[in-house]
Amino acid sequence: MKTRLTVQALATATACAFSTAAIADDKVTLSMWHQHPEWKDRAEAILEKFEAAHPHIDIELEEIAGTNYTARLNTALAAGEAPDLFGLPAGPETVAAAEAGYLTDLTGKLDLSSLVPSAASAVDNDGKVFGVPILGSYTVGLYYHRDIMEEQGLTPPTTREELLSVCETLKERGINPLVVPASDGIVPSFMYMMSAASIMGADGFDELRAGTRKFTDPDMVKAAAFIQEIAPCLQPGALSTAYVEGKALAAMKQGAMMPGGSADFAGYQEINPEVDLGVVPFPAAEGGTPATVTGLEYIFTINSQSEHKDEALTFLQWMLGEVAQQMVVDTITMTTNKDVVPTDSRILEEFGTARASNDVRVFYELPEVGSVFGAAQNNIAALLLGDMTPEAFSELLQAEVKPSGS
Amino acid sequence: MIKRDRQSRPPSEFSRRYGHLWFVVPGLVFFLGVFLLPLALAFGISMTNWSGLGNNVQFIGLANYAEILTHGPFYRAAFHNAVIFVVILIFQHTIGLYTAVLLNEKPRFMQFYRTVLFLPVIMSLVATGFVWTLMLSPNIGLINPVLKSTGLGFLAVQWLSQPGTALIAVIVVTAWNSLGWAIIIYLASLQAVPEELKQAAEMDGANSRQVFWRVVFPQLSPAFTALTVLTFIGTFRTFDVVYVLTGPLGAPNYATDVLGTLIYRTAFGTSSFSSGDIRFAFGIAMALLMMLAMAAICWMLIRQLRRREIET
Repeated sequence: MKTRLTVQALATATACAFSTAAIADDKVTLSMWHQHPEWKDRAEAILEKFEAAHPHIDIELEEIAGTNYTARLNTALAAGEAPDLFGLPAGPETVAAAEAGYLTDLTGKLDLSSLVPSAASAVDNDGKVFGVPILGSYTVGLYYHRDIMEEQGLTPPTTREELLSVCETLKERGINPLVVPASDGIVPSFMYMMSAASIMGADGFDELRAGTRKFTDPDMVKAAAFIQEIAPCLQPGALSTAYVEGKALAAMKQGAMMPGGSADFAGYQEINPEVDLGVVPFPAAEGGTPATVTGLEYIFTINSQSEHKDEALTFLQWMLGEVAQQMVVDTITMTTNKDVVPTDSRILEEFGTARASNDVRVFYELPEVGSVFGAAQNNIAALLLGDMTPEAFSELLQAEVKPSGS
Repeated sequence: MIKRDRQSRPPSEFSRRYGHLWFVVPGLVFFLGVFLLPLALAFGISMTNWSGLGNNVQFIGLANYAEILTHGPFYRAAFHNAVIFVVILIFQHTIGLYTAVLLNEKPRFMQFYRTVLFLPVIMSLVATGFVWTLMLSPNIGLINPVLKSTGLGFLAVQWLSQPGTALIAVIVVTAWNSLGWAIIIYLASLQAVPEELKQAAEMDGANSRQVFWRVVFPQLSPAFTALTVLTFIGTFRTFDVVYVLTGPLGAPNYATDVLGTLIYRTAFGTSSFSSGDIRFAFGIAMALLMMLAMAAICWMLIRQLRRREIET
């Protein structure tokens, strides 16, 4: 009897060992690149939830700082060493990568019925889908430190005149009015987009894409002039302030206001958990309405060379679902899932209110104006320094427009 | 018996003349594999319009090179490199030489001084560049408060964000980093000057200044040549210090843009949102043209400076 029990125990142990080994052998590791190091802990928490629900799939997330992301990804793609999953800006960038043969065609392979209509249309490229917004969307507006503004007896500005007035008052009191990391030109270019949006609105943007409106129109030139006017409101050294440093300065109250996106809030909190922020639309340029701009966070694509496409599809589908999107909206940024609402996020509600009045899609997601953002980024320092006139800046941008009718 | 015959057979004429070449083969294969082959591949790519992504590649001959000749940003960046080179060269041949002469007098704690002065050379420029960025920051930096507290407040400016001072800041950091090289090279050369020469000059009535300029300084010509060529190569290859201090756009408004950052930007892009302006093949062409120009200038520098060495 004793011998039989021992044999049974051994057999059971052996079977268990084999089955464990089999699971270990079947385990698939998906590599994934993303460009928000400041979200790493929050993103890892979501991935852990996925891994718990799918024990045979591991996700290895590598966060690469935004400035280096494009160079590193492009090199890896050309060398055939890109990860299984990677993020790209929706629109022309994704289409270019797909045309180059780097992406798996996801059309019809994922259930996208949970997406809000704007997100569903943003990832649809003439009926083809190459990537999906698993880490939400963002709206950019103007953050302000509620405590600083209250102490100073000021209200957040809504127009050019109000912004210039608040700026002057704060400077007189020794407070930096605006924190803008401008060394790479990205944040000032977002400021310009919002300034332009304040004048043209969503309808005007459609006209601009169709070629019936131009950046060089006299009222649109005022958008560039406004950015030049507020250059003195920026913190000292703005033109050499890197994005990460600017974010830290803003979070640590080294300025009263800063342009930023809904997705930046998580980073501000990481740096300063006590930060007390509010959000309004970016003040309107002369003759405009305060505006925000909205876009998708990098959408996630599957490498066409990936050996684990099925597992990658499983991951993307899970990420589009309610469990993952609830975590996205509660810890990172706005969700693109129409059935999910934030549990408790005043900031996201304020962003929702801010964009309700006048919101335009970010330029780089649309084929007609995809290159305009790059032109703005490369020349906005000259505009801020006064080395370039608003007219010349507007002409440079207009030269990059490829009207849909042409 | 057969073995003995083989041993006694004299090597063939071919073996005697070319046998040593077998020893060169491993090095040659390595050189071909890691230098010439990639160089040839790069040259091939530079004659296309490849953006760096996808398979859309068309042969365009030397069109990229022709475009570079009229490409304003290339000349602007090369000019910044040239300014950095000239200033660093003067700095090394004056301050570097003077410091080396002082150290050659073997002061107390010489080892300590030598170590401290050479330390920046062995430190990562990325790390030290980041520290300099923080020190120069007008918001949280140390330099402006120190200037203000020492009565030099008029010098406290936004170092890295004004076109007039940003390049100066880049040069200061580069000078700080490269001073150690100048000191070590000159010190080694000074220590190699025969004492007999100096003693003979002194016996002939030369004062210390005359001994230095007439006897010691001419002996430093090889060090001058080496340092000049190394400085030229180093300053025209500069990338990391600019990238860390002012970013890949050579901020503000390209005031610190150098060939390294321009090539990086052109070949790999800098925007997280748009890669439409990436031109990999054009960037490669710029890098190759820069390499050719540098090789030619180095050759001329060495030729001229060596001639001077022979004359002395």
